[in-house]
Amino acid sequence: MLAPSLALMLYAFVLPMLTFFEYSFYTFRRGKLLDEFSLTTYRRFLFDAYYQTIVLDTLWMATLTTLLALAIGYPLAFALWRLERPWMKRWLSLIIFSPIIVSVVVRSYGWIVLLADQGPVNWILKTSGLAAEPVTLVFNLVGVVLSLAHVFLPFVVFPIYSSMSRIDPALREAAMDLGAGWLRTFRSITLPLTLPGVVAAVQIAFTLALGAFVTPAMLGGGRVLVLPLQVYNATAEINWPVAAVGGLVLLVIAIIVVALCNRLLKYSEA
Amino acid sequence: MQAAASGIRIRYLFLWAFTLLGVLFIIAPLFVVVVNSFSSVAYNVFPPEGFSLRWYQNLAGQAAFYAGAWRSLVLATLATLGALIIGTMAGYALVRYRLPMPNLVKAFMLSPIVMPKIVLGVALFMFFVRIGTLGGYSSLLFTHMLVVLPFVISLIAAALFSFDWTLQEAAMDLGAGPLETFFRVILPEISVSVVVAGVFAFVTSFDQVETTLFLVRPGDNTLPVEMFLYLQKWQDPTIAALSTVLILFAVAIIGGLSLVLRDQKLPLDVGGSRTETTAKETTA
Repeated sequence: MLAPSLALMLYAFVLPMLTFFEYSFYTFRRGKLLDEFSLTTYRRFLFDAYYQTIVLDTLWMATLTTLLALAIGYPLAFALWRLERPWMKRWLSLIIFSPIIVSVVVRSYGWIVLLADQGPVNWILKTSGLAAEPVTLVFNLVGVVLSLAHVFLPFVVFPIYSSMSRIDPALREAAMDLGAGWLRTFRSITLPLTLPGVVAAVQIAFTLALGAFVTPAMLGGGRVLVLPLQVYNATAEINWPVAAVGGLVLLVIAIIVVALCNRLLKYSEA
Repeated sequence: MQAAASGIRIRYLFLWAFTLLGVLFIIAPLFVVVVNSFSSVAYNVFPPEGFSLRWYQNLAGQAAFYAGAWRSLVLATLATLGALIIGTMAGYALVRYRLPMPNLVKAFMLSPIVMPKIVLGVALFMFFVRIGTLGGYSSLLFTHMLVVLPFVISLIAAALFSFDWTLQEAAMDLGAGPLETFFRVILPEISVSVVVAGVFAFVTSFDQVETTLFLVRPGDNTLPVEMFLYLQKWQDPTIAALSTVLILFAVAIIGGLSLVLRDQKLPLDVGGSRTETTAKETTA
């Protein structure tokens, strides 16, 4: 029963990944891919300032995206949890989760329109007198981070909401009865008990942001060079060793983040 | 007492205000696309200078989008059906069979989820170039099946895990064959998870850009790839008109799904009360 799935995994996952790994040791010279063993590409990624900047920019973008998605997602999950009427809960959850079904290309395009120099956001800024000149919000890091946070929001709300719905209401009531104010109750009951959800949300948002390709390609305007774009460009230029090492760096960072979060998860649940 | 009451009111007001802002944040980029699709000019400007249907007319003349949409629909349907069949088999094996190192097998089956899609896409591209099957339909189909398989396996395995297996034994004892037992006893019980997994797989496959980008021949693009490449060249509201059509499509899916799941427990409410635990009278 397991055989068809295992066969597919072998053919379309294990073998391609091994091929990918093999190409990371190839040589790329004068626009040609050569079957010569070398570690040059690895050395360049470790010591060359150009590649270091790309790796750091990728981490920075993923960090900002995760923080923004948390800042919006946590209160939304809280609101979803506190809403008392079932129909409101249903509608809010529908609104939060339905964008998953809309294509990432469509959503990124929406952000381009929204943030353009003559778009609605700049129109509001101008008519309200907050900015005299149009603020450049798109085709830079700001646009990429905003759009990515939008795309990942459902994945952030879901784990936080499910950790909230597992809290025993008696705990909060007891804290309130013992005279704790709202803030105190939140700080010593709700927040610590939802930390596992927050860690899970960070894990998902950060790894998704690391691997994001469509949104940085569309909203970065060539000014946001992150690893996935670098991997794409290198592949198009037949520089497969750089594509392979870049991809492996991405993968290693993702695995480290997942492992760290799993560690934190165990720690915060204990 | 009065101070406490007004404190609660202020907090609720605050929560409401934030919720409204959050909803605005979620809706705004989609709403603005719909507005833009009725624009009368080729450049993005707000407030709109006038309204027209010219971008829908322009869209109607773009044969590449029709072909892409049809190709995406067929591919997503085939990938979903394929993944549902082999994923259900795998889920059954994971739950029912005594496998060596079950946790490791499960982790392996779910591992493609962690893989950045662009890495997977490039790796598949290099592999298919090497074995000479690049551009073949089977390569594309297997890729899409692989991308959606982990979701299908985890959802189906979770549903099978809470299935009451004495029902299977009862059906077999009463003389039903293995396939008959599956279709008449097990499948009705896990149908909600199968529908959710199917919709999720379809949408994921339909929306694939990263893994598809390198694998399709130029001129054989799927819809999202065609849109992505179109936007690299032009930014006129034709894409807004197409996006509006796709948003309507998404609304239809959501509507259909919420009709199907009307009286079912939402997977969202993990800690919520279980509403439906009654066994269905499907066995004869």
